[in-house]
Amino acid sequence: MIFLARRIAFYIGAFFLAVTFNFFIPRLMPGDPSARIIASFQGRLNESQVEAIRKSYGLTGSLWEQYITYVGSILRLDFGISTVQFPEPTASLLFYGATWTLVLVGLAIFFAFIIGSFMGIHAAWHRGGFFDSFFTPINVMLNAFTPAIVALLLFYAFSLQLQWFPLGRAHSTSISPALSFEFIGNVLYHATLPVLSIFLVSFGGWHLGMRNVMINLLNEDFVILAKAKGLSDRRVRYRYVARNAILPQITALALSIGFLLGGALVTEQVFNYPGLGKFTFTAIGSRDYSFIQGQLLLLTASVLVANLLSDIANVILDPRLRT
Amino acid sequence: MSELTQTPALSQPLRAESAAYGFHPPSQAELMAELGLKSRPGWTSRLPSGLAAFVTNGKGMVGVIILLALILTALFAPLLTSYDPNRRAGKPHVQPGYEHVMGTTRMGKDVFTQLVYGGRVSLAVGMGAGLAAAMIGLALGISAGYFGGRTDDVITFFVNVVLVLPGLPLIIVIATMVETAGPMVIGLVLALTGWGWAARTIRTQTLALRAREFVLAAELMGEKKWRIILIEIFPNMLSFVMGGLVLGTIAAILAEAALEFIGLGDPNAVTWGTMLYWGQKNLALQSGAWWEIWPPCIAIMLTGAALVLINFAVDEITNPQLKASRKIGRIRRFLSRRGRSADVF
Repeated sequence: MIFLARRIAFYIGAFFLAVTFNFFIPRLMPGDPSARIIASFQGRLNESQVEAIRKSYGLTGSLWEQYITYVGSILRLDFGISTVQFPEPTASLLFYGATWTLVLVGLAIFFAFIIGSFMGIHAAWHRGGFFDSFFTPINVMLNAFTPAIVALLLFYAFSLQLQWFPLGRAHSTSISPALSFEFIGNVLYHATLPVLSIFLVSFGGWHLGMRNVMINLLNEDFVILAKAKGLSDRRVRYRYVARNAILPQITALALSIGFLLGGALVTEQVFNYPGLGKFTFTAIGSRDYSFIQGQLLLLTASVLVANLLSDIANVILDPRLRT
Repeated sequence: MSELTQTPALSQPLRAESAAYGFHPPSQAELMAELGLKSRPGWTSRLPSGLAAFVTNGKGMVGVIILLALILTALFAPLLTSYDPNRRAGKPHVQPGYEHVMGTTRMGKDVFTQLVYGGRVSLAVGMGAGLAAAMIGLALGISAGYFGGRTDDVITFFVNVVLVLPGLPLIIVIATMVETAGPMVIGLVLALTGWGWAARTIRTQTLALRAREFVLAAELMGEKKWRIILIEIFPNMLSFVMGGLVLGTIAAILAEAALEFIGLGDPNAVTWGTMLYWGQKNLALQSGAWWEIWPPCIAIMLTGAALVLINFAVDEITNPQLKASRKIGRIRRFLSRRGRSADVF
């Protein structure tokens, strides 16, 4: 349990570093967000109006007071008011977008991790065979084809040319959100291509990681002993080698979630999918700082939670950590 | 090599045995043909061993050749095209043809010209950021691993933070705060956020090396710490630095393209990422002008593929078990043709 406690302490520290980073970046840059708004009035504001605008951005008082106010508002999940969708609070937009992004990334990770790991197990077991020498390089190369390009390719082929899949949106406007088979089916239909493009650029990583770890384990004494005992191939492969090889994979999975979320931001842009990426894109265009900073905090928090879950999974799978 | 390929003289009992079974032991040339092995060209043996291992690695060399071709076309851009990448060169959306090898954009700019000039910026930013990230990772990784104690704790904390913070969203925050994020700014931010993995692997390696006898011997001889790090430890790190460099460059090139694609870069700079940005913004695919989108896509994909191939080679050199595994299929078939069990492998 000391292991978990130390990890949780680290995650809280990391989150506060992200908050501090968010706090200082706009204050270190030459033009803070309020200066831009004040400048747009071309000097027609009197002193008290300028003060009011600066106050609404939390820019009054000493730096330490500002910091305390900022941290306090973050802990109350108050990310400020969105300037794009005025006067909608940023937090509700963030959570709406994050729901759809989670659908995409969750489905993609699920399939990529399982399919990639099984391919890696297969490649390592029959290493040097056709599957290994052909698919391992191909899958890893797919990994280096950035999500933007794979998404564009799929969008061009299946949405524009063949018109098998819709051109955008998370679900048809004619169906209202409900827990019905029709609605869920419609959401899955719209999510197919975005999920596929995130899947295609990520499963090669699991394939290669699993394969390389397994190959190094296959010469270990415990594997040779298991084979010498006459255990079935299946049992040695999954219960002995794969179980040990999966541990670093789970840690890597949690760390890769930040990268996948970044990929999802780009993919949503191509497929016009109403997730965090789409909103972030609009926010960048109109310099909506509260949203842009909010997305960093939200994504950081989700990566940290994912890391915590992977630590718990590691404790369950690896008895050596249970001290 | 030549004296080795001759059949060695057989000892008397073995010859008698092979005559009795009607069995002729194969020559080394026959064995090599059956195992699919080719003898290395002689000049590779004159190279330093690390370089020789790289040069004889097929995948790695294919990657190097693709990458060199891309770099050379970018370097010699003015010789390959007579248009200006920033100026209108023809009518909007001209199809690829004799005048415009890859057609023109909606603004009437020549796509091929933009591609080769854009390669200069994209490759330079990617490689520069990759190199800088690898150097930061190397410095922090070696210091953490070698000095240990409090230094190690502090550095490891920051390495873990950098690994845990999501890269792209972080860069988005920085890039929006900077007025216009030109390629230089993007490269700098990517270098400052991309050193986590390199630092982690190099720290682990340093920890392993520090316990070895030759480092202990140098310490007992009273060598200075910086000398031990530079002369004793660093040369053993080269392959890991290479790996960090290649992975860092892949990440930087892809991240740069992604950032510019979502409109965070300077839209007036000519890079592969901004070409994609304009193509997407002008709905090039929807209006049938595929030639505005695919050239930068293919260029980025080729760069990524080349770097991945190089990384495969680096992986095989640092981890010989991976290299051995490539030949194991042939060895198994070889053994099973002779009725031996191949299970031990």
